[in-house]
Amino acid sequence: MKNRIICTLPLVVSVLVMLQYVLVPNFREFTPLDQNAPTNVWLWFMGFFALAFAAWNVAAVFSKRAHTQLRRRAPLLTVVFLLVLLFDFATLKTGWLPQPFVPWPDAILNAIIRDRAILLTSLGHSLRLLFTGYAIGVVLGIITGVAAGWSVKARYWVQPLTKLFGSIPPVTWLPIILILAGSLFGGAVFLIALAVWYPVTATTMNGVLNVPKSTFEAASTFGVSKPGMIFKVAIPASSPFIFQGLTQGMSIACTALLIAEMMGVEAGLGWYINWQRGWAEFAGMYGAVVIIAVTFFAVNAVLGVARRRALRWKEGGA
Amino acid sequence: MTGTIEIKHLNKTFDDEFCAIEDLSLTIAAGEFVSIVGTSGCGKSTLLRTIAGLEAPTGGEILCGGKPVHGTSPDRGLMFQEHALFPWLTVRKNVIFALKASGRYGANGGSVGALLETAGLAEFADAYPHQLSGGMRQRAALIRSLAVSPDVLLLDEPLGALDSFTRMVLQDEIIRLWQARGNTMVLITHDVDEAIYLSNRIIVMAPRPGRIAEIIDVPMGYPRNRGTSDFADLRKRLLKRLDFAAEVEQEYYL
Ligand SMILES: Nc1ncnc2c1ncn2[C@@H]1O[C@H](COP(=O)(O)OP(=O)(O)OP(=O)(O)O)[C@@H](O)[C@H]1O
Ligand SMILES: [Mg+2]
Repeated sequence: MKNRIICTLPLVVSVLVMLQYVLVPNFREFTPLDQNAPTNVWLWFMGFFALAFAAWNVAAVFSKRAHTQLRRRAPLLTVVFLLVLLFDFATLKTGWLPQPFVPWPDAILNAIIRDRAILLTSLGHSLRLLFTGYAIGVVLGIITGVAAGWSVKARYWVQPLTKLFGSIPPVTWLPIILILAGSLFGGAVFLIALAVWYPVTATTMNGVLNVPKSTFEAASTFGVSKPGMIFKVAIPASSPFIFQGLTQGMSIACTALLIAEMMGVEAGLGWYINWQRGWAEFAGMYGAVVIIAVTFFAVNAVLGVARRRALRWKEGGA
Repeated sequence: MTGTIEIKHLNKTFDDEFCAIEDLSLTIAAGEFVSIVGTSGCGKSTLLRTIAGLEAPTGGEILCGGKPVHGTSPDRGLMFQEHALFPWLTVRKNVIFALKASGRYGANGGSVGALLETAGLAEFADAYPHQLSGGMRQRAALIRSLAVSPDVLLLDEPLGALDSFTRMVLQDEIIRLWQARGNTMVLITHDVDEAIYLSNRIIVMAPRPGRIAEIIDVPMGYPRNRGTSDFADLRKRLLKRLDFAAEVEQEYYL
């Protein structure tokens, strides 16, 4: 019984959000010409979640699996939607948070919808930049990491490099890179690649150094060739470490991406945020923040799934 | 013959400090099962690794099947105390990896399933090494080594980490596989019973420098019975010999 009640809480709270939006008076009057005048978009949006939670609750009655999943996520979802409730209350309903700097959810949603074309282009640009830089950094990082883990001589040269770049935040180089680079895009790619290169190199080197000697010896008794030793033994054996670097590298890459876009590259979501701020379009600014959050969350979730799949062989999973 | 091992005046020194092995000569016939016993640090692993080609001799030479040993070869399999299976591959893929790396997939690839089946590994074929018990892992490593049909299989305390029951089961398994394949076996063990139960000849090594102290023939047919008086006599003789070796070592320290 208690579990059933907990399972319905996300539904209850999302309905509460809608009721508050409709019933509680706003902190000020809006003329129909006002760009941020409350619309029904927020109701549609929350209605979607309310329906989804209702459907989930119905499914939970019939399916044990749906029930356990809902029961596990319900407390977190409840708190998230309570925060949304509070946020709407502190902005649109009371104006407690400084106005007009903190817009309410409906205004943010409408700004996203209004600017969807340019936001989509910006998102595309950001992702292109992110993945170009990330891919280059990962490939170079794995190459130097394997080399440094493999040969003492390579380690002699690579280790000081990783120490140097490990202690200097990569964005420090941004002004120099932007001056020297032929194109802003190229410069930003270079920056992101550099930011990713360091953690991938460090973890890959560590991984290769941690492969038991007997693994290589066993492989060599079977006659594994030199390239085979690298691609079929060293890299898979150190893949748990490499994935650590891939994850760290992604979070650094996301940071570097936004800073590069805010500081020089004239495209992408980071640039969009700055641009909107310049025009005091706070709703659009928050909209871009929301899109960035969702995108980075999704990218990391995909990486997490790839990691769990690739490391299924590991004791205790990835 | 392809499985013969001729060790001629082998010397092996590490870091120019002391002799891990000094002037060791030994000939092992093709298809023979030889065990090596001796106190810890007397150079058994070093000898085996040199035969495998993982270490280069400092002096002397080793011929395998009449050809000098330079580096590793699929003709000389090596099995370690820690299984050394590739943890990222399932048991079946471990075997296939070995076959492909040695270029013998074409010849032996078809029999992988049957091989795993006869070794009692059929239901674990698609399990990862960490999902297996210690005994199953060693069994899988043994099968992986044998799958490439080496002329010589070198075993460095392969059963050392197992409980005595599992160990006896695997000893029978080793005998069965050896008799079916007729390859040469060189086994390092700390277990005197294991050496007597399995081998045609037992090499007793003495330390500092590593050398052969005695070679004991085991004139018994297979399968052997651990309870016979012949077995007990040999055990007594071997233990005495090993005690002596231990005394020598103590004198060295005093
Ligand atoms: N790579 C190496 N570098 C330096 N010394 C080594 C190396 N490998 C072995 N030794 C030394 O050579 C000697 C013989 O070692 P080895 O491992 O062959 O002994 P072992 O008989 O196998 O011992 P155990 O029964 O404990 O396995 C030891 O004193 C060891 O310290
Ligand atoms: Mg040893």
